[in-house]
Amino acid sequence: MIEELRSRFGEALLSAEQVGRELRVSVAAAALPEVAAFAKEHGFHYPADITAWDAGDELRVVYRLVDLASGEHLVITVPAPRSGARLPSLVPIFGGADWPEREIYDLFGVRFDGHPDLRRILLTDDWEGHPLLK
Amino acid sequence: MTTGLTPTEHITLNMGPQHPSTHGVLRLELELEGEVIVACRPIIGYLHRGIEKMAEARTYPQVLPYTDRLDYLSSSSNNMAYVQAVEKLLGLEVPERAKYLRVISLELNRIASHLVFLATFANDLGATTVFLYGMRERELIMDLFSMWAGARLTQSWIRIGGVGADIPDGFVDQALAFCRLMPKRLDEYDRILTGNRIFRARTEGVGILPPELGVNYGASGPTLRGSGVEFDVRRAEPYEVYGDLDFEVVTRPTCDCMGRYLVRMQEMRQSVRILEQCLKRLPEGEVRAKVPRVIRPPEGEAYGRVESPRGEFACYVVSDGSPRPARVRFRAPSFYHLSVLPRMLQGWKVGDAVAILGSIDIVLGEVDR
Repeated sequence: MIEELRSRFGEALLSAEQVGRELRVSVAAAALPEVAAFAKEHGFHYPADITAWDAGDELRVVYRLVDLASGEHLVITVPAPRSGARLPSLVPIFGGADWPEREIYDLFGVRFDGHPDLRRILLTDDWEGHPLLK
Repeated sequence: MTTGLTPTEHITLNMGPQHPSTHGVLRLELELEGEVIVACRPIIGYLHRGIEKMAEARTYPQVLPYTDRLDYLSSSSNNMAYVQAVEKLLGLEVPERAKYLRVISLELNRIASHLVFLATFANDLGATTVFLYGMRERELIMDLFSMWAGARLTQSWIRIGGVGADIPDGFVDQALAFCRLMPKRLDEYDRILTGNRIFRARTEGVGILPPELGVNYGASGPTLRGSGVEFDVRRAEPYEVYGDLDFEVVTRPTCDCMGRYLVRMQEMRQSVRILEQCLKRLPEGEVRAKVPRVIRPPEGEAYGRVESPRGEFACYVVSDGSPRPARVRFRAPSFYHLSVLPRMLQGWKVGDAVAILGSIDIVLGEVDR
C-alpha cells in the first residue's frame, strides 16, 4: 500500500509509516479527495473517525479509515494553517464525513469546500470564535 | 371545511428538545407532507459541556471522571477507551486479574444499557409494563456497581494501570446469581414483547438502514449489526481478554427496527456467557500496575477503541510530553448514528420516527460531549 501510494501521489505524500496495524500517512490538502477515493477503492469503506488538533504552529486534520475485512487502519493527516484554513470536503466519498467536518469547522474554524451544509453543530450559531484553538 | 393547506404544502414540526421519545435534549426538525416525513434535520449541542476542551487543562488521571459523563448509561466503556489510549502511549502492561475485572465491568454495563434500551423502546411504543421489567433487572446490576465503585452510573472504576480497587467479598457469588437469573428474565421479555402483534407491526420492515449506507456513515454496534454487518470491536481488535473468550457476534439481516432490537436482546445472552467465563476463570493477583505519580506519556498519539453498547466508542489522545494531554477526542457512536437518521426517516410517518429513533439507541451525553 505504501509503495502504491508513493508511486501514485509522489510529492503530495508528505510522509508514510506503518505502526502496527496502522498505516499513518501525511498528505497535502489538494490531494486529499484522491487519496480518500483511492483508499475506498482498496477496501477502506468505514470512516472510523475524523477530527483535528492544534499542534501550535499548524492544525492537523486526521482522517481514520478502516478496512472492516482486514482490520487495517489508514490514518491520513492533513496539515492546515491555524486561521483561514480551507480543505476539500470528503462528504461526496464518505457520508460519515458530514457531521465531523461540521464539528471541525465549529471548533477549529476549518472550512470544507464542497460540504453541502457547513454550519456550526455543537455551539450556537451566534458563537464567536473556535474554542479548540489554543 | 377548509384548512388552507393543499396536499403538496409542507409543514415543519419540531420534535424536541423536550420530547419524551428523544431521550434527552435533541431536536428533530421534521418537514412533513401530511403525516409523511420528507426531510429531517437533527439539531444537537444542547448538552455540550466542552469536555474535550476541559481535558486539555487537566492531568491525565483528572480527565477520567469526565469520561463517565459522555455515555452515562455505560460509563465503563468510556473509561476503558480513554484508559486504553493512555496505556498505549505509556506502553503499560496491566495485571491479568485487572483485565478480567474490566471485562466483567464492561459486560455488566452492556446488559444494563441494553435493559434501558429495552425499557424505553417498549415504553415509546406503548408497552409500559416492559419498562418496569427492564428497570427491575437493571437495579440488580446497579447493586453490583455500588459494591465495587460506590456509584451507580459514574463509576470511574477502570483506571490507568488497572482498576480502582479489588472487588469486595461476596461479589462473585452475587454476580453469578445474576447470571443464572438473567436468561430466565430474557425469556420473559420475549414472551411479553418480542412476539406481540402491535410491537411487530411497528418494528418489522420499519426504518431500513442498508448495510453499505451504514458503513459509509460510520455506523457501528447493534445499529450496523442489525443490517447484517458482522463488525464488533471485541472481535476485530480484541482488547483485555476478549480474545480468549467464547462468544458470538450477533447479527440480523433485516436492516429494520426489529433487527436492531433482536441484536441487542441476543447480545445480552452473549454478555451473560462472557460474564460466567470471566467470573469462573478470574485469576488471583494485583489489580493495578505500578503507575508513576505524575503521568507524562512520551510524545505521540494513540487511539483507544472499545465496543460500547452503542457501537465503536473510541478515544484519540495526543501527547506533547507534558503532564496534560494536547488533545483528547471522543469518537461517539451515537454521533454517527444521528447523522444517518435523516436517511432512515425519509418516507416514514411521524409515529414511526419514535420507533426508528428509539431503535438506534442514542445517548445525548456522548453526542454533545
